[in-house]
Amino acid sequence: MTLQEQIRSNRLRSTIVIFGFALLLGVVGGLIGVIFNLSLGIVALVGAGLYAIFAILSSRRMVAGMTRAQEIGPDDLKPLRRVVENVSIAAGLPVTPDVRIVDDPAPNAFAAGLRPQTSYLGVTTGLLRTMPKRELEAVLGHEVSHVRNRDTYLMTMATIFAGVIALIADIGFRMLIFGGGGRGRRGGGALIAILAVVGLILAPYAAMLLRMSLSRRREFLADAGSAEILNDPEAMALALRRLQEDTTTIKYADAAVAHLWVESPTSRVESERGGVNFLSGLFDTHPPLDRRIAALEEAGGFRLPAELPADEPFATELGLT
Amino acid sequence: MLWLWILIGVVVLLLVVLVYGYNRLVRLRQEVNTGWANIDVQLQRRTDLIPNLVETVRGYAAHERETFDEVTRARTALQQAGTPAAAAVADAGLTAALGRLFAVAEAYPELKASKNFLELQEELTDTEDKISAARRYYNATVMALNTAIQSFPWLLVAGPFGFKAREFFSAEGDTAPPEVSFAA
Repeated sequence: MTLQEQIRSNRLRSTIVIFGFALLLGVVGGLIGVIFNLSLGIVALVGAGLYAIFAILSSRRMVAGMTRAQEIGPDDLKPLRRVVENVSIAAGLPVTPDVRIVDDPAPNAFAAGLRPQTSYLGVTTGLLRTMPKRELEAVLGHEVSHVRNRDTYLMTMATIFAGVIALIADIGFRMLIFGGGGRGRRGGGALIAILAVVGLILAPYAAMLLRMSLSRRREFLADAGSAEILNDPEAMALALRRLQEDTTTIKYADAAVAHLWVESPTSRVESERGGVNFLSGLFDTHPPLDRRIAALEEAGGFRLPAELPADEPFATELGLT
Repeated sequence: MLWLWILIGVVVLLLVVLVYGYNRLVRLRQEVNTGWANIDVQLQRRTDLIPNLVETVRGYAAHERETFDEVTRARTALQQAGTPAAAAVADAGLTAALGRLFAVAEAYPELKASKNFLELQEELTDTEDKISAARRYYNATVMALNTAIQSFPWLLVAGPFGFKAREFFSAEGDTAPPEVSFAA
């Protein structure tokens, strides 16, 4: 599969996902209609649709807000911009994404934006202070792959839809508890109402599962993309190992954008570091780092050394202290 | 009657393969062109930096004529290179000539301390990095096109419509870049 074909299959998948979410949204609206009354279901659906459109339009700013990523001036951190430029050229992106900085000691990075032209990469100061140039390039290659594969588009859509479904299911559920609703108004509808309530409770989880499963496969693809762009699978594996050894987590980890980061920013340490708890694994946004490293080792035909190279972190070159 | 239907079916199938294959090859060729444009931009930027560099060095080390001429010749060769492979060879030649120029510059402390010289040196290093980045992408697109053209059934489409295999941007002849494949 060439890159372009991969991108096209991703676009197709995006369309399917969006329809899937729309369907799920329809089900939730229908359930509200069944439990309460039809017009309330319609109102909920229209409201949800408007909210989704608003969220899509403002997603760029919302992500920046949720990740606390700061824009940098045109002359700041030139060496970092250069690295991003080189990686983007090697990936064949039409434009170089902007770089934004997250002031956080945890090493991590993310990509955001609906189109490559409006995309930007977020990099934590911790990443710059931890990674030497070679590994930083690999991490940026991973993020650039997300942009190139249109993962950022798909994941932004998935996040918004999952959020909308969770929101109206939650509202419906609260109305059920506090408002009493129209239960039992129709004779013999009790069973249907119970089923509908169960459906209402389960819908957000279905949406979340859908989002997570999409996200995890994409991480492997982006790791592979980085290895291919830089022709250096070992660098990506080294970077992942370094992330694994680091135990700090992002201070303002917002679960809604968890899937955007190169490493899961939340503190679910056990599963992230190679645990096999099936249930907790189900809701992970990222596959365990061990599995990602193993996939790279297998594809590249190498074994990581036990000791990480003690190279100067890139922050020294940038003059960050 | 049955034979007629089978015949129609086969013709329709062939048409579908033809249209799909043609579009796919056009797309791949377009990617190669984009990839080449990316390299060309950087090569252009590199040749644009050379006269400035030569002038700067000449200001401090006027009698190193031979080295200047060599760099200028290498630059002209790069400008005149007609094919990707020739451009790659000329580019390697320019890198070698520049290496000698920078080696000569080592002997002139004043030159080495000059801000202008340092900036040019940094720009050139950056351009070299970008050329190698653009080369990785270009060679990958060439590989995809060449593989498609040589494999069944696309080769049936490639021949009649004049799709040709393209050259790699590589100084060592047509060496394919090592492929990294993943089964994740």
